Amino acid sequence: MANVTIREIMVPLSEYATVREGATLLDAVLALEKAQEEFEHYQYRHRAVLVLNGEGRVVGKLSQLDVLSALEPGDSSDAELKQLMRLGFSHEFIRGFRKQKRLEAEPLKNLCGKAAGLKVEAFMQAPGEGEYVEATASLDIAVHQLVAGDHLSLLVTQGDAIVGVLRLADVFAAVFHLMKECQLT
Amino acid sequence: MKALKSLLDRIAQRVNINLRELEFDVMPIAHHLVPLKQMTKFYAFYGITPNHSLSLEFRHSSLAGSYFLGRCRTNHSILYKTDVRGDELQKKGATFTFNGHTLTLAEDEIIDVQDSYLVKTLVHSYSHDPESRERFFVTNTLSCHYANIHGSPTDGSFLGPFATVDLTTMYDCAIGAYCYIQAGEIGHFHADPGMVWARSRGDFNFVYHHPLDRLKPYIDFVPGKAPTGVFMDFLEVRKKDFERVFDVVNLQRPKGIPSNASLDRYAVIKPKMHIAENVLVAQRAYLENSYLGKGANAQENCYIINSRLEGDNVTAHGAKIIDADLGNRVFVGFNSFLRGCPHCRLTIGSGTIVMPHTIIDIDRPLTIPANHFVWGMIADEADLAQNSMPLEDFARIDGRLYRGNLLFEGSGAAFVAAFQKRIEHILLDNGALFDGKRYKGHAQRNQNISVNTIQPYPEGRLKGMYPTILIQP
Repeated sequence: MANVTIREIMVPLSEYATVREGATLLDAVLALEKAQEEFEHYQYRHRAVLVLNGEGRVVGKLSQLDVLSALEPGDSSDAELKQLMRLGFSHEFIRGFRKQKRLEAEPLKNLCGKAAGLKVEAFMQAPGEGEYVEATASLDIAVHQLVAGDHLSLLVTQGDAIVGVLRLADVFAAVFHLMKECQLT
Repeated sequence: MKALKSLLDRIAQRVNINLRELEFDVMPIAHHLVPLKQMTKFYAFYGITPNHSLSLEFRHSSLAGSYFLGRCRTNHSILYKTDVRGDELQKKGATFTFNGHTLTLAEDEIIDVQDSYLVKTLVHSYSHDPESRERFFVTNTLSCHYANIHGSPTDGSFLGPFATVDLTTMYDCAIGAYCYIQAGEIGHFHADPGMVWARSRGDFNFVYHHPLDRLKPYIDFVPGKAPTGVFMDFLEVRKKDFERVFDVVNLQRPKGIPSNASLDRYAVIKPKMHIAENVLVAQRAYLENSYLGKGANAQENCYIINSRLEGDNVTAHGAKIIDADLGNRVFVGFNSFLRGCPHCRLTIGSGTIVMPHTIIDIDRPLTIPANHFVWGMIADEADLAQNSMPLEDFARIDGRLYRGNLLFEGSGAAFVAAFQKRIEHILLDNGALFDGKRYKGHAQRNQNISVNTIQPYPEGRLKGMYPTILIQP
């Protein structure tokens, strides 16, 4: 594993879906669609959009789940659901509560229309400390970071700059390939 | 006043250390709750009766206007107009059962207040913590106006104004204004204002959130300012009536009070009161132009005005009843605010349970039928329809109920039974069921309480602080 470097299997930043701060969720979804069309040679489709500031630095990551969270009825925010768990309600009760909120909320089509105009900053996640990996690092380092941090991707750095995205799917493919090689030798 | 100032800083720092995980800062709250000069204006007092153990110990504390009964220790604390009522503390040899184990108290229980700042707070009942039955502790805690610490050992916590913690051991929690918590044991928990939570693990879980926009006019609390709103205004205009009962040494007992009823000398009794047998009126209760039928009670900080309570009514600590007619055995929970008006009376049928921290404030007549369960915020018929249910129907819930701001999971029957059992206990403890021989309670035992006063240093570095005082039989 140690012989494969991150640079070899990462997606270069130029081939990844990005939007600038101030973009809407619709802009982000369109950017994702465009990246998927343009870079069909990737075996796995992109599942996130990076958010860049005015200087082109990555300030956040918008996953598919983040986009979907914009469709949640206002009253069942993450904080509220966590609070219900702390209050001792069962998972079954909380599922019922969400369903109830959904029934009371606007139709999904209306929610989609409203969510399209919301700003990406409200839903993106700022990368945490364990979400960066050096381009020259070996594959086993990346495996450890993905597993320990429960991440779907890592930002690949070269010096101060972000140069790419290392996706869980690409790491898995590389590991799978190595496993097969080991069996043959 | 240097000692008092540094004591206040020390307490606030200790509370903050405990609440660091919640990032809750009590510093601006602690310094603006009560002007420190108030701490020198009022004497503290304690009761002596042949019916209660006596052991009081005050060290390095300020106790302005506070009242003590029973067994209590205060150390490095500031208590302002706070009642520490130890008439339900458990005695040495008392037994209790927990998880199949029967344990015996090794010594008499004591209320132990350490490193805490309590403002107009009531500390009452006995420790319900199976790990600490001999010591009902209140440590590293700040509580605001009209909070209730009821049977709830509390450490490292903050209670906002009109908050109640009931039968719950609490560590490192911040409880917002007008919250009611009865949950067994909680830790590192931040409750937003207006949450009403009653939980019995494995049996039921009841949570109601007062709508904040409707709660704010009643109680608004911003750190750095004293609490404001209808509740505070209501109390403020009646403050003068209390000055007389605290200023006069020998007050004449009103005429026509039955010998088995108890009227605390620090209660305000205004004209045209009818007080029947076995009635209990606690200190700082306020009664005016009302009828209290046999076995009714008015606990600390209760206000009953222009109202009729038929009998065996429980009006729990801090509840207010104005322009209302209540049938037999109506239970009104802690800090509830029930306000009709002269031309739009509130009528509540017999056996109805009004959940703690319920607000009913009407400008048209409203009738709540007998044997109902009522909760939340009610201003009209529509609110009542959403926030009430016949007890019989509530008892049928087995699973889940989502109704407005109420969430309920578990057994409705267990919930109703727990309430009814508790009401029965309260009536028994208060002496409402006394038949001349059996079932003596507070109404009979608290009749002849001698009250002594103690005073702080009037000048100098220790101004406002009380000397170390030990009071024992």
